[in-house]
Amino acid sequence: MARLELDDITKHFDDDGETIVAVDDASIDIEDGEFLVLVGPSGCGKSTTLRMIAGLETITDGELRIGGRRVNEAKPRDRDIAMVFQSYALYPHMTVRENMSFGLEESTDLSGSEIDERVESATDTMGISDLLDRKPSELSGGQQQRVALGRAIVREPEVFLMDEPLSNLDAKLRAQMRTELQRLQEDLDTTTVYVTHDQTEAMTMGDRIAILNDGLLQQVATPLEAYHAPANQFVAGFIGEPSMNFFDVDLEGDSVVGDGLDYPVSDDVRAKLDTDALVLGIRPQDIELVEEVESGHDVAVTVDVVEPMGDENNVYLRLPDSPAGETFIANVDGRTLVDEGDDIVARIPEEAVHFFDRRSGEALRNREFDDEADVDLSL
Amino acid sequence: MTETNALSGRSWRSTALYAVLVLLVVFYLLPLWTGLVTSIKADVLATAPFLPPAPAGFTSVHWTRAVNALAGGLVNSLILAIPATILSALLGSMAAYGLTTLDWRYQVPILMLFIAGIFIPYQAVLIPLSKFWASVVPVSDLVGYVGLAGWVGDLVGLILSHVAYGIPICTLLFRTYYKDFNEEMIEAARLDGATTHTIYRRIILPLSVPMFAVTLIYQFTQVWNDLLFALVLVGPGAGAPVTVPLSQLGASLSEVGFGIRMAGAFVAALPTIIVYVLFGDQFAEGVST
Repeated sequence: MARLELDDITKHFDDDGETIVAVDDASIDIEDGEFLVLVGPSGCGKSTTLRMIAGLETITDGELRIGGRRVNEAKPRDRDIAMVFQSYALYPHMTVRENMSFGLEESTDLSGSEIDERVESATDTMGISDLLDRKPSELSGGQQQRVALGRAIVREPEVFLMDEPLSNLDAKLRAQMRTELQRLQEDLDTTTVYVTHDQTEAMTMGDRIAILNDGLLQQVATPLEAYHAPANQFVAGFIGEPSMNFFDVDLEGDSVVGDGLDYPVSDDVRAKLDTDALVLGIRPQDIELVEEVESGHDVAVTVDVVEPMGDENNVYLRLPDSPAGETFIANVDGRTLVDEGDDIVARIPEEAVHFFDRRSGEALRNREFDDEADVDLSL
Repeated sequence: MTETNALSGRSWRSTALYAVLVLLVVFYLLPLWTGLVTSIKADVLATAPFLPPAPAGFTSVHWTRAVNALAGGLVNSLILAIPATILSALLGSMAAYGLTTLDWRYQVPILMLFIAGIFIPYQAVLIPLSKFWASVVPVSDLVGYVGLAGWVGDLVGLILSHVAYGIPICTLLFRTYYKDFNEEMIEAARLDGATTHTIYRRIILPLSVPMFAVTLIYQFTQVWNDLLFALVLVGPGAGAPVTVPLSQLGASLSEVGFGIRMAGAFVAALPTIIVYVLFGDQFAEGVST
């Protein structure tokens, strides 16, 4: 087990003479035993980052250290890492046992019986002892996934790297494997870097999450911090389901105005806004639907579409002057009965409102949340 | 009414299909059949070409004479075709691995050279090739130093020539196959600690079996059936592969030896048929992937 340090890691690809920056100056310190999730939209550089840690891509600039040792130039086999691939990448001509012992045979001097012992204990952990003599083609997707994980844990590496390992599973199995993976990582206490584009996986699995966009590291934070105190508009929009609602607004005196909104702000909040061109952000979960306008924070709206999910409803709302199709979402209790076309009032509580600099995207004011101390503890 | 029409239409169509298929079978088998019956006729003109001989007109003399005349050539052809086939398939697979699965510069220009090699017409290289084996690398003299006859050297030259000219097509076949391999699987092997060499030996090679069947059948047939290189590089004599004496079979006799020629053709073709039967299943699998 080891600490994994990324120090100004940069990756340039050469595309017909043009340089493409895939990862730009990413610095992350991953503690020994920590579970770090790298998350971002496709093409953001998260897989490239992982592959640089694995040694499958060269590092253009910066330094990568595993356990304090610089490994930029080390071959993958000399980095003491194990990786789980999206496609599982099992060797199709080998049985489960052979798949799992291959790495030990190639990279250690263990005797045959020691290898057998380790393979068997790893298959016990993964609950696949009865599959030892099967070939990958005779296994279901979930079983192949377990073998791929087993192949990684049998190596007992310093660092686990996982590249969207659950994305090929169906939704139910994915949720089940998610908890199982977390439990496994806690038991083994091995430093893990987990790449995903799925923000649910990021939120639920990581000790910390690193959000990447366009090769740039946006924020490294605990899931709750990223959710409640996003560093910028990208993180705010990426983390959370459904996405945060954004309104382009301008600061005019005591209010922010724009997009059909005229929203008064308190002095405390206004003190934090150091520019006039703003974006107001509000999470769908923080919007309340009420009958009548009672304060400046209540907005008259029309219900556009209702998506009932059972436990909750996603209600698409339209401001009176905004064009058709331009809506924002309120996420309300499933028993709240509203219908399309209803005229209703959306209450946007000021304590839940975020403000971003419209040009830089930087967060100027994040929502208040009570248990800030709790979040700090888990850092 | 319409239902019965449709039904009769369908049965008419399948009847036509089967008729065409039977015709094709006859078309392909007729020369073989005619050859076979001709080879067992004492007097080839006694009955129509495609009819079997009358019991009294049956003879096995053509077959015994053909086997006697070709036995030496058959052995030489085996000595030639087996190593030439295995070497070109193996080297082709290694080259394809290096040009596909590994990642390095100048892969493309080198691959282009390989592809160009497929299109070299044999006629164009006959003279330089025979000069090469005669003057630059005089194999027939070289083997003399270890006490072997000159024709052994000629045969070695012929084997190496076939290997060299077989590698490009084998490389291309293997490359197409390897391109479909899961890249992550190779990366997983690298992370598992396997070297370039062990990845080939423990991952690539075992997974190449179907494609080996394809290249082995293809290359074996090519080398076995070749007359041009055999005639120019070895020629008639002790080292001649079977195609060389086969081409002269019957012609050296005073009569027009149709019977012995037909028998000889079957004898000479037998090994390629055996190879097809042995590797046929794997071949089908390799072609379909």
